[in-house]
Amino acid sequence: MTYFFIIIYSITLVYFALSERVKKFIVLLAIQGVLLFGIVFFNLGQVALGEFLFVLVETIVVKSVVIPIFLNKVRRNNGLKRVHETEIPVFYSIIVVTVMLMGSFFVSNYLHNEQIHTKFFTVAIASVFFGIYFIIIHKNVFSHLVGYLIIENGIFLLSLAVGSEIPMLVNFAVLLDVLMGVLVIGIFMNRVSDRFQSTSIDELAKLKD
Amino acid sequence: MVWIGVISMILAALIFPGITAIIKAKVGGRKAPPLLQPVYDVVRLFKKGAVYSATTGLIFRIAPLVYFASVVAVLLLIPFGGQKGILSFAGDFVFFAYLLALGKFMMIVAAMDTGSGFEGMGANREALYSMLVEPAFFILMGSLALFAGSISFYDLYLSLHIQTHLSYLTAVTAIYVLAYIAMVENSRLPVDDPKTHLELTMVHEVMVLDYSGFDLALINISNWLKFSIFGTLIANFLLPFYLPHYAQILLFFLIQFGFATVVGGLESFRARNKMAKNPQFIITLSAIAILVFLTALIITEKFSLN
Amino acid sequence: MLEYYFLLALAISGLMILFKNRTFNQVACTLFALLQIGVVVFAYLHAKETDALYFKYDMLGILLTAVLSILTPITFYHSYLYLQRYSPEIGRQSIYWAALVILITAMTGAYFAENVALLWVCIEVTTLCVTVLVFHDRSKTSLEASWKYLFISSVGVAIAFMGILFLTAVSVESGPKSLNFTDLIANAHTMNATWIKIAFILVLTGFSIKLSIFPLFAAAIDAKTVAPSPANALLSSALVSVGFVGIFRFYAIIAHTDADLWARNVLMITGLISIFLAAVQLFRVKRFTRMYALSTMEHAGIICLALFAGGIGYYAAVLHVVLHSFVKAGLFYQLGQSNYIYKSIWIKDSGAYFKINPLGALVVMLGFFSIVAIPPSGLFVTEFLIFKTLFLQKHYLISIVALILLTAILFQIARFLFHLLFEKNPEQLHDTDFNINKAENIAPFLLFVLAAYLGYSPPGFFVNMINSAIAIIQ
Repeated sequence: MTYFFIIIYSITLVYFALSERVKKFIVLLAIQGVLLFGIVFFNLGQVALGEFLFVLVETIVVKSVVIPIFLNKVRRNNGLKRVHETEIPVFYSIIVVTVMLMGSFFVSNYLHNEQIHTKFFTVAIASVFFGIYFIIIHKNVFSHLVGYLIIENGIFLLSLAVGSEIPMLVNFAVLLDVLMGVLVIGIFMNRVSDRFQSTSIDELAKLKD
Repeated sequence: MVWIGVISMILAALIFPGITAIIKAKVGGRKAPPLLQPVYDVVRLFKKGAVYSATTGLIFRIAPLVYFASVVAVLLLIPFGGQKGILSFAGDFVFFAYLLALGKFMMIVAAMDTGSGFEGMGANREALYSMLVEPAFFILMGSLALFAGSISFYDLYLSLHIQTHLSYLTAVTAIYVLAYIAMVENSRLPVDDPKTHLELTMVHEVMVLDYSGFDLALINISNWLKFSIFGTLIANFLLPFYLPHYAQILLFFLIQFGFATVVGGLESFRARNKMAKNPQFIITLSAIAILVFLTALIITEKFSLN
Repeated sequence: MLEYYFLLALAISGLMILFKNRTFNQVACTLFALLQIGVVVFAYLHAKETDALYFKYDMLGILLTAVLSILTPITFYHSYLYLQRYSPEIGRQSIYWAALVILITAMTGAYFAENVALLWVCIEVTTLCVTVLVFHDRSKTSLEASWKYLFISSVGVAIAFMGILFLTAVSVESGPKSLNFTDLIANAHTMNATWIKIAFILVLTGFSIKLSIFPLFAAAIDAKTVAPSPANALLSSALVSVGFVGIFRFYAIIAHTDADLWARNVLMITGLISIFLAAVQLFRVKRFTRMYALSTMEHAGIICLALFAGGIGYYAAVLHVVLHSFVKAGLFYQLGQSNYIYKSIWIKDSGAYFKINPLGALVVMLGFFSIVAIPPSGLFVTEFLIFKTLFLQKHYLISIVALILLTAILFQIARFLFHLLFEKNPEQLHDTDFNINKAENIAPFLLFVLAAYLGYSPPGFFVNMINSAIAIIQ
């Protein structure tokens, strides 16, 4: 069942490359949150209630409810509809994301490490790299935030892959930190668009000496 | 049973365009045409002679025949209801794809033969889209072949009925991809709009502008047959092969009807893609097909993941 | 104990934002500065003990926290001056203070963090605070800089988290389940070298923005270009130490594996590239803040080279971090004064500082000698030690290239600072146009002297602290 969610997760990555509407990005992020919950849920063995609740809060509440709602607010605030500024045509992006997915699947195939759950590794690496790629090709601060969140989702999967032993309290601090980071980035994005009347990063190039 | 399959497919092909037209009329609030109106039109066309432009040559005249013949030959390859097709051999799906490609190639060459700028443009687009859609089809079939451990249509479908969550996922994605491949192959929405009246925005329609009478009728019939063929490919994913024959045939027509309805609905509600967006739309199909392939690798445990 | 410190700091900053009262801000800051010193004393008395579950008072942490605690009251005083001079509305002032307090708290947490993930958390918190501080004057450039810093730092730190996760993978493989640095170092020799190499590269990339070295230096430089000068004093000193702590602790793990030599080479390459890029960029700077930021980058590069040298180089590295913190902070405090006088951070607007503000000019002069490591400076000692080690190990090419680059940097810094000191007065300013308290110059002056003193004749307990700080590597 885990593979089921992993494959759907990789399909969402393809659609990230395909879509050019800001609204779709938000929906896809929300879907990814639910998928992450599915992935974790079918992997918890005999689970403590606290752990389960934490995962529930982290994936469903934060990743697929709080952050998308917040992003939607930011989107409406800035009147964002479409992202025109991709530097590379979508056609090539789709090829790139496919190559990334294949690459990361094959890498995890050849990993042969007992300690690492390579099934999560497959899509985690692809997600991180695709997030970075997403940031590079877009010239819009909103899309940059979306790319950051894709990276975060990839890191979440990675933490499953390595079966992280991070204590719950610290885990909670990490979650809180990331959430704060997203909120602050969103607030700053509002500032940027108020100030520069645009969310394109071309405006943000005055500091060079 | 084997011949019943072929006859069912031909019957489905005859009613398919009618159903689509009725759906579109209903959704658009118009009075629906009779179910067999497209058939009547074709019969009328058969009664007419053909007019050929003075600049065209032999290729232009034989292209519709080759096209028709290739599609009819393809019809014989398709398995139906858990039975082998009339022609069934290892690697027949490759033969399938290239028979279709042969027909298409003839149409493209014929369009170039007319020397019309519009037709050349249409041929160009058609060639591009066919080229892009080809990897999707082969990757999809390749992943199914991986399941089956065999490379003939018949085995591909039989092996799909392993009951795991992932094979459901593969089936759904495969149907999705196949449905869109059918749309691209038949030049329907969202890649091409058969109803457009502007040559600049046409793809397939502009290629056959110079045909008339008998030739046009052949081309139309071939198009219907292609729809029916792809519909059968999809239906084979869904048909439970353990049912009795009559139930399977009934289900087959239901699925074809459903497919026609979906096509009609899609064409009523959806606008055509921008021309520039078509390639990326089609390459997405390949990307998803690759994911199906990766899934197949996981299911067949060619990947050692833990 | 440390958890009360965190709670108190949170309470103080929360109340400052809530009350928006000038007097309250001052009282609260004084309290916090005292609290900060209290933490150092407490930590020193409880050295090598674990506190608040995931923190440990190790010597490196105590040393750097002590530096931070010395800088804290001075920074508060200069921030007070800064806010008085430009007097923004009280809400913004309170936000500034609150962010400063949280930043100092988070940095303290990062110094003492024993759990790898907790170190990450503290570093991420510093990112958010720095963003707020950089955005202080609400101008377009500050918005740009803070946005870039926030975003690149978040992504970078996320990448560092990947490194931490890989480290988890190998640590689980080799036995201990905990992610404490002590356990990790103790079990380092059993770890799989490939994974730990990947982890080290990722962590180095992620924390490079804090240490302001290659590859993610650009956003850090931009942030330091526009940040208010008192905040800048902390960003260029204590925050660099945070990056150093992060990288140093990971290096301590990898130093116990077969990949030790490899890691040192990576550090050498990063260091050299950083020095090179700093030197190149120094040729086209137009702002004092940017010049100092690039100088920080150069010194961070030297610190990487010191880690590469090993042996006595480790000692020099820690000493360099400490001394550079004092010197750079002193320069930024003084820069606040000259910015106020010329009402500009641009080099072209400055000149004749010796005539306008002789005492301040003297401090700049002293600071100049200190930062470029000319003998009265304490940094001379550390750089001498580093290059001596490099030469002894026969890394001639590396040291010569680095020395040439340092010379170019010295030339550029001299050119810009002498422009400030000796060029003709650009706007015919008179010393009646502004109000400078002569006491402002005491703190930077003392910091330079302290740096020289610690460099040339370090007291015994100080040497012992450094030696036990670097003991985890050997």
